[in-house]
Amino acid sequence: MFNYVLRRLLLLPVVILGVTFLLFFLTQRLSPEMRASLYIKDPRQMGSLEEVIQKYGLRDNMFKQYGRWLGNALKGDLGYSQSANMPVAQAIKAYLPATIQLAVVTIVLVVFFGVWFGCVSAVKKDKWQDVLARVFSVGGFSLPIFVLGLLLLMLFYGKLGWFAPGGYSVYTDAVVHGGSFHSYTGFLLIDSLLNLNFRVFWDVLSHLVLPAVTLCIGSFALMVRVMRSSMLEELGKDYVRTARAKGLSPWQVTYKHAGKNAVIPVITLASIQFIRLLGGTVIVETIFEYPGIGRFGVIAAQQLDIAGIMGFSLMVAVLFVLGNLLSDILYTAVDPRIRLD
Amino acid sequence: MIASAPVLDVQDLHVSFSTEEGTVEVLKGLSYSLPKGKVLAVVGESGSGKTVHALSLLRLLPPTARITKGHIVFDGKDLTSLSESQLRKVRGARISMIFQDPMTSLNPVLTVGEQLQETILAHRKISKLRAKALAVRLLKKVGIADAAKRYNQYPFQFSGGMCQRVMIAMALALKPDVLIADEPTTALDVTIQAQILRLIKDLQSQAGMSAVFITHNLALVADVADEVLVLYGGLCMEQAPVHTLFKNPLHPYTQGLLNSLVSIKKKEDFLPAIAGNPPVPGTECPGCPFAPRCPRVLKKCFKERPPLFNSKGHKAACWLLEEKA
Repeated sequence: MFNYVLRRLLLLPVVILGVTFLLFFLTQRLSPEMRASLYIKDPRQMGSLEEVIQKYGLRDNMFKQYGRWLGNALKGDLGYSQSANMPVAQAIKAYLPATIQLAVVTIVLVVFFGVWFGCVSAVKKDKWQDVLARVFSVGGFSLPIFVLGLLLLMLFYGKLGWFAPGGYSVYTDAVVHGGSFHSYTGFLLIDSLLNLNFRVFWDVLSHLVLPAVTLCIGSFALMVRVMRSSMLEELGKDYVRTARAKGLSPWQVTYKHAGKNAVIPVITLASIQFIRLLGGTVIVETIFEYPGIGRFGVIAAQQLDIAGIMGFSLMVAVLFVLGNLLSDILYTAVDPRIRLD
Repeated sequence: MIASAPVLDVQDLHVSFSTEEGTVEVLKGLSYSLPKGKVLAVVGESGSGKTVHALSLLRLLPPTARITKGHIVFDGKDLTSLSESQLRKVRGARISMIFQDPMTSLNPVLTVGEQLQETILAHRKISKLRAKALAVRLLKKVGIADAAKRYNQYPFQFSGGMCQRVMIAMALALKPDVLIADEPTTALDVTIQAQILRLIKDLQSQAGMSAVFITHNLALVADVADEVLVLYGGLCMEQAPVHTLFKNPLHPYTQGLLNSLVSIKKKEDFLPAIAGNPPVPGTECPGCPFAPRCPRVLKKCFKERPPLFNSKGHKAACWLLEEKA
């Protein structure tokens, strides 16, 4: 087990090199002049274009430039993001916790409802509960996320006024960036509780609900499907018959026996979806003006902020490998055949 | 055999499967009674309905199958009309089952001990600790060495024979009145088969339990059974005490089966077999299901189904016996 984790971690540098080199190669397709122009804020400074190219070595051999970027990255310097107006490392540190927060809340909702609906669907196969769960999940799956997001926004913000869109309230910003708020984890949802500031907690939570629900409805359909078919398969197996023959209650037979086996494929799916949420909640973060890393990534891409793009993709690559590792570790928790092998 | 009151009384049991082509009757009126402390072997080839019969006793049939007619009387109650929750008190506690493939019949993600313990806890109101102690004792009893350590292991860490021992421990945990063993040795190595069979037989006679032993292996029957029921095409062909059946088989099908047992002493070039194939469920003929393969077939056999002729506890369903009866 320990060996396995170690081997996976050794893979991490390989993946990171591959991803970043590929992206670096793509950015090199832009002429040095174009890349240099990113450093220039005022048209009157265009004359100093050549100076910038010389200063940053933009005409050097591609591998030399990549090596330079990599060397800096190893030292923790990911460059300066023009689009966010701060160093890339600082931008990631500022935006990532909000996205992780959103992704965690979403995946908890997805797994909870997905497993629940999937189980009910399988146990009540072809009854009304099954039909309802299937219609609901396929409906959510078919609705584009931007349509769903806007609908929810119209209903809960526009008509009912329950939740707030846009950035956090002025009060929250003032408190968080004021001196007395102690940042323990970087996750506002947890920090606000630790600081016993429930007004901030409520504000953060109310900004989280709509994006999380939107993402959840969009991705739990697959979870329901996988859980349903996996559960149906398990319910037909011999050990379920044994469990019934022993006189166990239907609840024990379904959830303790079949459920524990059926949930194994769900772990893979959940971790894939979790990684996807971490790297790509771009649309939802944009619709709800949620201050997360996805929005940072999309703005960096729009403004050709090369340092920002590189930093963003580096982060996604790292998260991807770690997410996969996490799912493998979760597997061993559920399946003794893997744990003890 | 007739003297003692039966523990289990099966009366005119009919089981049907609903398929896309319509309903297929797999058991067509099976009747027998199982006396206390005795072992009844139900013998039949693939497709004869023997496993369906085993599953129907505890109503564990797949959702497509249904008991359409008949009664299963156990302890004065008809199991076919009990509610699920009433039946649950019988399953595993009063009537328990051992299945064909022990490797797939145990849950792969729960420890062997946990599966044994939960069986006990489902029927007895005792503490988990006492249930565990009982479970370890049971594992020892079925011949599992180092039981306390094995208790915490998973089925994939056990061999097939060991898994079947666990299944036996589970089936006997609550000292049931009836044990149903559905081909308990078919999936095991030949060398293990005899051990497992001996174990079941020993535990059965120790506890004075009754047992229904389902098998396709006639040779195996002689060792364990008191009485044999030969099943063919969902019908009882012949039922007799084991020695009577081996010495004096009345039904041509039973005679064919016994003929095809190979003796070690005789050197034979051809393996004797019964010509033809067993009937496919659903392709019904009104007469005897064995008629198309029977070497002594009469015209009547195709038209009319023979009743079970009974002479001193030796029953056989064959028109050849009509005059004798």
